[in-house]
Amino acid sequence: MALKILSVLVENKPGTLFRVTHMIRLMRLNIEGLTCGVTNGGDRSRITMTVNGDDATLDFLAKQLSKVIDVYEAQTYSPEEVTARELALVKLNLSSVSHLDDKRLQGARIVETSDRSITVEVIGTPSEIDRFIHRFDSSHILELARTGTTAVPKG
Amino acid sequence: MHEISGARAVIETLRQEHVKFVFGMPGGANLPIYDALLDSDIRHILARHEQSAAHMADAFGRVSGRAGVCMGTSGPGATNLVTGIATAYADSSPVVAITGQVPKAMTGRNAFQETDVIGVMTPITKYSIQPLSATEIPSGIKRAFYIATSGRPGPVLVDIPKDVQQEVRDIPFPESVEVKGYTPYVEVDPLAVERAAEMLVKAEKPLIMGGGGIRISNAYEPFQAVSELLMAPVITTLQGKGSFPEGHPLCLGPIGMHGRAESNKLVSECDLLMAVGVRFSDRSTGTFSEFCKQAKIIHIDADPSEFNKNKQVDLYIRGDANQVLTKVYKALVRRISRRSDSNPWLARIAQVREEMKSIPAYTDYDSELSGPKIVRKMREVLPPQTILTTGVGRHQMWCEIHWRVLKPRTWITSTGLGTMGFGLPAAIGAKVAKPEVPVVDFDGDGSFMMTDNSLGTAVDEKIPIVSIIINDRSLGMVEQWQRLMYNRRFSGVKFGKSCDFVKLAEAYGAFAKRVTTLEEFGKALKEGISLDSPAVIDVPVSSEEDVFPFMPPGKSIKETVVGPPKEMAIF
Repeated sequence: MALKILSVLVENKPGTLFRVTHMIRLMRLNIEGLTCGVTNGGDRSRITMTVNGDDATLDFLAKQLSKVIDVYEAQTYSPEEVTARELALVKLNLSSVSHLDDKRLQGARIVETSDRSITVEVIGTPSEIDRFIHRFDSSHILELARTGTTAVPKG
Repeated sequence: MHEISGARAVIETLRQEHVKFVFGMPGGANLPIYDALLDSDIRHILARHEQSAAHMADAFGRVSGRAGVCMGTSGPGATNLVTGIATAYADSSPVVAITGQVPKAMTGRNAFQETDVIGVMTPITKYSIQPLSATEIPSGIKRAFYIATSGRPGPVLVDIPKDVQQEVRDIPFPESVEVKGYTPYVEVDPLAVERAAEMLVKAEKPLIMGGGGIRISNAYEPFQAVSELLMAPVITTLQGKGSFPEGHPLCLGPIGMHGRAESNKLVSECDLLMAVGVRFSDRSTGTFSEFCKQAKIIHIDADPSEFNKNKQVDLYIRGDANQVLTKVYKALVRRISRRSDSNPWLARIAQVREEMKSIPAYTDYDSELSGPKIVRKMREVLPPQTILTTGVGRHQMWCEIHWRVLKPRTWITSTGLGTMGFGLPAAIGAKVAKPEVPVVDFDGDGSFMMTDNSLGTAVDEKIPIVSIIINDRSLGMVEQWQRLMYNRRFSGVKFGKSCDFVKLAEAYGAFAKRVTTLEEFGKALKEGISLDSPAVIDVPVSSEEDVFPFMPPGKSIKETVVGPPKEMAIF
């Protein structure tokens, strides 16, 4: 079992994500991350999913997904084969951050502040985001939202 | 253009798709469609349960090669269709199911008879379409027909909210439709064809395997031509039974859990297997890794997701079986002329056939009315073009082993899903598709009782089919498994006295006869097919006579048991 990226190019219309995710459920896989966005001028969407599974299951899944009407193509990649990025919004307890040039905020962009919290945006590979989050004591993180990985194959 | 309702657009599109028959039941949410149906030439065949309507449409599709159409209302009407649609999906049968849905404004409010039928049916349909405006109806239904019948066929659901049926608009009827992201047909790879020809020519012990894909693509002719050119014997799957004439000297018959003993044995001896339009189902192959592992395998199929799914193969060719086989045939003719009919492989085949003649399962059981005897008698009586449908169970397996399919598209049975209750409604659908030939439903009592109310449809609609009920007062196939694998602990398989099928049939107004000898059976069957009304022949049999050969579940095809447990003879 290893983390894999499943990239599915679909027709941008209602019900397509349902047809795709139902196949993932059929194979009893958990979706660790999912992004979906419009591409190619609006009539197509790219669904990018991070799933934990073995190669055989993932290959089977990609073939079955390719068969789904409304799916143009489905590919699986290992993490090394893609350029992957994720965005996280982290709302921190203001008292946990001593000053705005706190070293722990390096690499993040401040997007909102209030009298009790500061919200920062981090973009990076999933592990970079993990590392950023680990800089803070979990009790100081008021809220956290991650987009999940989106990816394009390298080369 | 003049304005018409969505419901009229449904009927007009069906007419444009050359639909002459629909099978279904009306209800609150499809009343507008039923009202519009009244003003058309389309004949509605009233089912007694939507499951049966779906089986009728399915069998109509298998016999005619055109999509069968079934209809139901929302909620229970739609959920009742589920088993029939899943059956069609499992056997790649072209069906268009049209359901009514609650009005758009009621969606998600748990309205009366509201079910998210697209949610329910997505896993068991090739596609589903929900027009949200009357103007989307013609293109939606046209796409449904195109998807259902192209590539690897399957059922398509069109779910139409009632307000969309009632909406009156200036509705466009497109000549053709496009389905994005769907490429059912591809150019056949010429290099793969040449490689296949090379492999076939080199093989010393070739075997050819036909599945349901031969029927779907009407590939009977090139399939037979390739086999005869190579003098390569043919095995089939249960769905592919009849993809090659079963009286032909090169035909060995089906492989599988209850396949022919010689087929199950020889598939482990060939050096090349060319499998066409099959999906290597576990019921055909037994343990995947053990199946035919000594041979090179060529796999031809329209659906690329089947390649290396269950069985790793050496060469696969994507394409319509008819096209691919025609090209393979041409590539072979450039290399060889018709092979001689005497070689060590054919001698070996003849030897195994001779050996198997004496196995207990083929030498038959003691009783006057044993399954195999009834099936062979039936073949004597019925003309070659007779369409045979079946339920699911021991009677079906006796047909697999002993019935000979002589003509294309005359063997209609539920194999993938194994749906009991398929036989009678399927016979009705088959007869509607081909009224000029006799249609016989060879059924078991357990299967028959699941949809026996379809007799009402057959009688009222004057569809003269014959149901033969192999009546062992038991769920015989389950009983067999309990006898062989659960130490005769019979749990939930025995029926009591109910019911008297002769009285039941008579209550519906059908001809009915109970027979106790083979001779009576033959006479009753002759009479049954000569009538212009439906007939039921009740054949009481023992539940103790098990079906053999038997490849136990989870075992390999080499472990096929050819006789009753006392001998438990494995090849």
